[in-house]
Amino acid sequence: MAMRLYSVAVYLFLYVPIGIIVLFSFNSGRHASSFEGLSVKWYGKALSNPFVLEALTTSLIIALSAALLSSLMGTAAALALQRIRGPLRAMFDGLIYVAIMIPGIVIGIATLIALVTVFDLLNPVLGALWPADAAPPKLSLGYASVIAAHTLFTMSLVIVLIRARIAGMDRALIEASEDLYASPWRTFLQITLPQLFPAILAGFLLSFTFSFDDFIISFFVAGPNTTLPIYVFSSIRRGITPEVNAIGTMVLGASLTLLIIAQVLLRRREGR
Amino acid sequence: MSKSYKDNLPITATKLMEELERYRKGSVSRRHFLGVTGLGTAMAVLSSAVPGLAPRKSYAYGDLGDRLVFSTWPNYHNPVNVEEFTEATGVNVQINAFGSNEEMLAKLQAGATGWDVFVPTNYTISNYVELGLIQELDLSKMPNYDAGAQNPLFAGPATVNGKVYAVPKNWGTTGFVLNSNEIKSGPKSWKDFFEVTMAEGSGHTIVHDYQLTTIGAALCALGYSFNSIDEKELAEAEKVLIDAKPHLFAITSDYQPGMRSGDAWMSICWNGDGLQLNTDLPEMQYVIATDGGEIWSDFYAIPTEAPHLEAAYAFVNFLLDPYVQVREFASHGYASGDSRVSAMLPADTANNKILFPAVELMNGLEFGAAQTLTDPGRAELIARFKSA
Amino acid sequence: MTGESTKGRWLTVALLTPTSAWFLVMLVMPLVVVAIFSFGERSAVGGYTASFTFDQYANLPSRFTAFRNTLTYAPFGTLVSLLVAYPLAYFLAVKVSPKWRLLLLVLVIVPFWTSLLIRTYAWIFILGGRGIPTLLDYIGFEGVRLINTPFAVVVGIIYGYLPLMVFPIFVSLERLDKRLLEASNDLGGTPFRTFLQVTLPLSMPGVATGCMLVFILLMGEFLIPAFLGGGKVFFIGNALVDLFLQSRNWPFGSAVAVTLVIIMLITVSLYMRLTMGRAADRNESIM
Repeated sequence: MAMRLYSVAVYLFLYVPIGIIVLFSFNSGRHASSFEGLSVKWYGKALSNPFVLEALTTSLIIALSAALLSSLMGTAAALALQRIRGPLRAMFDGLIYVAIMIPGIVIGIATLIALVTVFDLLNPVLGALWPADAAPPKLSLGYASVIAAHTLFTMSLVIVLIRARIAGMDRALIEASEDLYASPWRTFLQITLPQLFPAILAGFLLSFTFSFDDFIISFFVAGPNTTLPIYVFSSIRRGITPEVNAIGTMVLGASLTLLIIAQVLLRRREGR
Repeated sequence: MSKSYKDNLPITATKLMEELERYRKGSVSRRHFLGVTGLGTAMAVLSSAVPGLAPRKSYAYGDLGDRLVFSTWPNYHNPVNVEEFTEATGVNVQINAFGSNEEMLAKLQAGATGWDVFVPTNYTISNYVELGLIQELDLSKMPNYDAGAQNPLFAGPATVNGKVYAVPKNWGTTGFVLNSNEIKSGPKSWKDFFEVTMAEGSGHTIVHDYQLTTIGAALCALGYSFNSIDEKELAEAEKVLIDAKPHLFAITSDYQPGMRSGDAWMSICWNGDGLQLNTDLPEMQYVIATDGGEIWSDFYAIPTEAPHLEAAYAFVNFLLDPYVQVREFASHGYASGDSRVSAMLPADTANNKILFPAVELMNGLEFGAAQTLTDPGRAELIARFKSA
Repeated sequence: MTGESTKGRWLTVALLTPTSAWFLVMLVMPLVVVAIFSFGERSAVGGYTASFTFDQYANLPSRFTAFRNTLTYAPFGTLVSLLVAYPLAYFLAVKVSPKWRLLLLVLVIVPFWTSLLIRTYAWIFILGGRGIPTLLDYIGFEGVRLINTPFAVVVGIIYGYLPLMVFPIFVSLERLDKRLLEASNDLGGTPFRTFLQVTLPLSMPGVATGCMLVFILLMGEFLIPAFLGGGKVFFIGNALVDLFLQSRNWPFGSAVAVTLVIIMLITVSLYMRLTMGRAADRNESIM
């Protein structure tokens, strides 16, 4: 009983702030502090504000790219790492460990100063090499740098997840497949990949979530791009209006919807 | 979700009533009333106030594109103006808020900000020019800029080596605001400010999170220059700040939410923000310290790499229109050095002590100096203070 | 590796190339640049000037408080999160009927799906003068200040990282064979003894994983102290942002970053040695 009460208290602790965010998103007043009446106007404002939509699009593009790249490269690397031993393997293990452990703030700052320095060196070279009649491309911070910086961390996360899965995988099936003279490629497609799939999916979702919610790395390396968290940060500084609450509530709603859809789809598959 | 300034309101309710009263009594014109209150329909005000922009804007400015990135300070604009600009030109304005010149400089120095227009303060402009971060302005693209109407005291820093790199926005002072319901001893100087911080106001005082004003206030309290970069004087100022730190409520430049929620009772404050607070909550009193402080002037400038140059010029030109400036004033409460604007303000504005302090107080104030911004000693001092 | 065909070897190389390139450009290069910068000097207007000096490292003691705060709040925050999370994880894994388990578990993560910024901002309101202190006023506790205190920062930490702690503990407790608990009870163990001698040791891998995740994130924390500490509770993360965005002192910022990375490498390696030796032997992955 005590346990149950305690858990209720923890859930309250988790949901009171969420409740406040949602409640104030329906505030008709301008202030986040005094509730003046029910209204959905801030949803309209947020949805018709081109910069909210653009920030959302930017965040989605970055998070999807980072998640795709991470799951592809992470899976490939995890599979390859099973095949090597020795110092090379130790080196990769070390790199993965460091990539996961280094705080985002250090990654953000280090990437910023490294890229700015390298771009400053490369841009004149590019300018000199480029044909005189065309404007040379100019390297600068932007989508690519954020995606690359997010992918460093999320890819390492995917490698760890998939290696755990490989370790727990049923080798008998693979051996059976090989005994039946299936080509390695077929074995991979029909046996290995389906077994790895839950881990890859989990890695993809984790990567997406991390990248979508990241503020500190993007803050340093996004250049002129504004992601949703950067937009929210700037709004909070300008004096928060319920528009920010509306954005938060919509993101929450979208995630919940996706979760329910995924749940229904999974149920169906299991039901077959 | 603390209460922030009604930055999206064109005008406060009290003020609206005052304006309405004036309009009824006939002391202001209808156009003025509509302009100040933001009640005029967008196009009506625009067409009368911004010749060349309203009906023929595309001819006047060429293709402006659909976007503009604008970096400025919190509580510093009238959203109605920005909305009108978007309506009239199709250019959407993304506003980023920054709390200090140092931060703006850091962002620009790191490159690729994507900013089209930003708002630097007087003492930073020569630094920006030296670093090649802002461009010389083509004044012919800003017909609303009237050089002759500017107060040279506030417009001066925009000209570097005979070239104009910025146009003046507003000017103001840096003093402190106090909640007179809580702070009864009536501090008058920075010396009092720090003494009250350690006693009556302990746990309820805010200082800014950037070096210029916070270190400047401590220096003034000691009787030194606001701009001092003398090592010995800075060391003494550091001691004042470190001693005060345990008694502070917060170290932040976004002090309005704390003051409004009642958590903070006293804060270093810019006068317009003081006026915003005072208008809503009469117990909030703005004080210009008798032992000195800052007088400053803000500008619009365009970064060297501004991606939407034409839109940037159009936006600055729009904001320089006297009527638009009057509405900006109604929202943020900072005075303009543009005599065309002063002429349009209600007569009693000139008597407002928050806006226009007494001459003897004004004389004690200093403009921030260029080397104050970049001095490594001050940069390191504030960083040490914050991490202490 | 000896028996592997050339084709297989090429495949391995091909699979590893993108990842290697990524590590090289996005991890090794930035860390090397930061290391080089940390021996440089701040140029007159800020930024970096090439040089070779140990001045930046000599200046580290000036950030002693920030390092000390980080090194006390990170373990303390981890510990408090653990204390709050463990009973909940235990409840979910052992006490709740399976029918409700998934739903209740999902409910722990859902708050994670609104922006961390917005969630933290909600606490500014709750802990600020118009929030809990007003309620306390009603029942006679006047003048309580919560916002911008160490307490507010700890609340923010627990709120931000609770799910990260609940999850691994839940997983390790759920895997636990319930028959072991029954056996212990049958042998006359009190519930408390059963918990101490059976449940707790078996849940240690989850505890260790959760603690490490939270600890790592706290070491680089910036937002929570900035929002809920009012700039008064200063972490290394805040010092770093300050050095890059206010003082524009890239070399000193680099030196602080290098020091933070070294401290983390040492503490986390030690921690893994101490807590995970056995888990690693059993081939249980850390994360």
